[in-house]
Amino acid sequence: MEAEVALDARLVGGVTAVEAQASTAAQLVGQATGGDLDAFERLMRSLQRRVYGFAYQHLRDSYEAHDLAQEIFVKLYRNLGRYDSTRPFEPWFWKLAANTTINYRRKRIPMPAELSHELAGETQNGQHDPALLQALAQLDPAYRLPILLHYYADLSLEQVSRSLNLSVAAVKSRLHRARAQLRNALAEMDE
Amino acid sequence: MTASESNSLACSRVRVLLEPYSDGALAREDRQQYDALRAHLAGCSDCRLQHEQAISLPFRLRALSSPPPPDSLVAGVMRTIASTRLATRRAWTLLVPEAALATFILWYLSGLEGITSVASGIVGDLLGLAGWSSGSGSLPSIPHADVLLLLALIALTAIAGYHLSILIRLTPAGRTGSGARRAASE
Repeated sequence: MEAEVALDARLVGGVTAVEAQASTAAQLVGQATGGDLDAFERLMRSLQRRVYGFAYQHLRDSYEAHDLAQEIFVKLYRNLGRYDSTRPFEPWFWKLAANTTINYRRKRIPMPAELSHELAGETQNGQHDPALLQALAQLDPAYRLPILLHYYADLSLEQVSRSLNLSVAAVKSRLHRARAQLRNALAEMDE
Repeated sequence: MTASESNSLACSRVRVLLEPYSDGALAREDRQQYDALRAHLAGCSDCRLQHEQAISLPFRLRALSSPPPPDSLVAGVMRTIASTRLATRRAWTLLVPEAALATFILWYLSGLEGITSVASGIVGDLLGLAGWSSGSGSLPSIPHADVLLLLALIALTAIAGYHLSILIRLTPAGRTGSGARRAASE
């Protein structure tokens, strides 16, 4: 019983923290839209870890991730005026981030050597999950993007569907296939 | 004990159902298959291993770590934004001399009568210059106001051209990556 109460308290605390975070973000967005650069900088600092991580996991190259993350933030600044403050900020922002990422990949010149170089570095450093990183890198971008938005950026299925302009069923299907492909790739690596 | 002996589901079918089983969809949508799969997992070590991998995957994905964002990220974006704001301000400021020059030119021309008098004046000046160059006449004296009008037109064209170049650079469709990349490498 006590454990249940503690769990409830944690959940309520978690929800409150998320709500507080969302309201702070909404406040900063409102100020930034009015031309407050300090507010925009604070908004960017609150998002930068997830945005850079998302870009890094998608591109597997720190230089390119830096470039993409900057492009996402500059686009955010230029499009702040189009944000409807009556709607939640995060899905709108991640939709913009996803579109920027898709366009960025289209313009990008592929560099085959980079992947093995980055992965080799990570494996040596022992910081990551090299097998999963390799499996993720092999995944088609159409599957990798929903996986990263859902598991890495921590968006709900509905938020992912709005970010990628897909139905929830389509997102579920892509996540399902992506996980199956990842599991198969991991199993092959184990063999 | 093999899977086929332990229950009615084949291992190949179980592998297909592991995803909806792991994310809870199977329990909601097909309780019978959910129970059969549970029974299968209890008796099949291979499928149990697959299940362990399936349920660990979301945790592994969430636990993926990335290097921290470099300090230059925020600074680079702020630099790009500052230059955009400056360019936007400059673009608006340019409207002032443009409007002043346009007003002066319009005032000077002052309707159809003004335009025809300027046109006839230009034709007369050109004819006078042609006569002067052929040696049959003296150098025409061009009114100071006409020189001013010409200078105003040249200035307006130059400012409008510069203005246009700024507006093109400010177009949202313009890729920011190269600028951001330059900022990052500084």
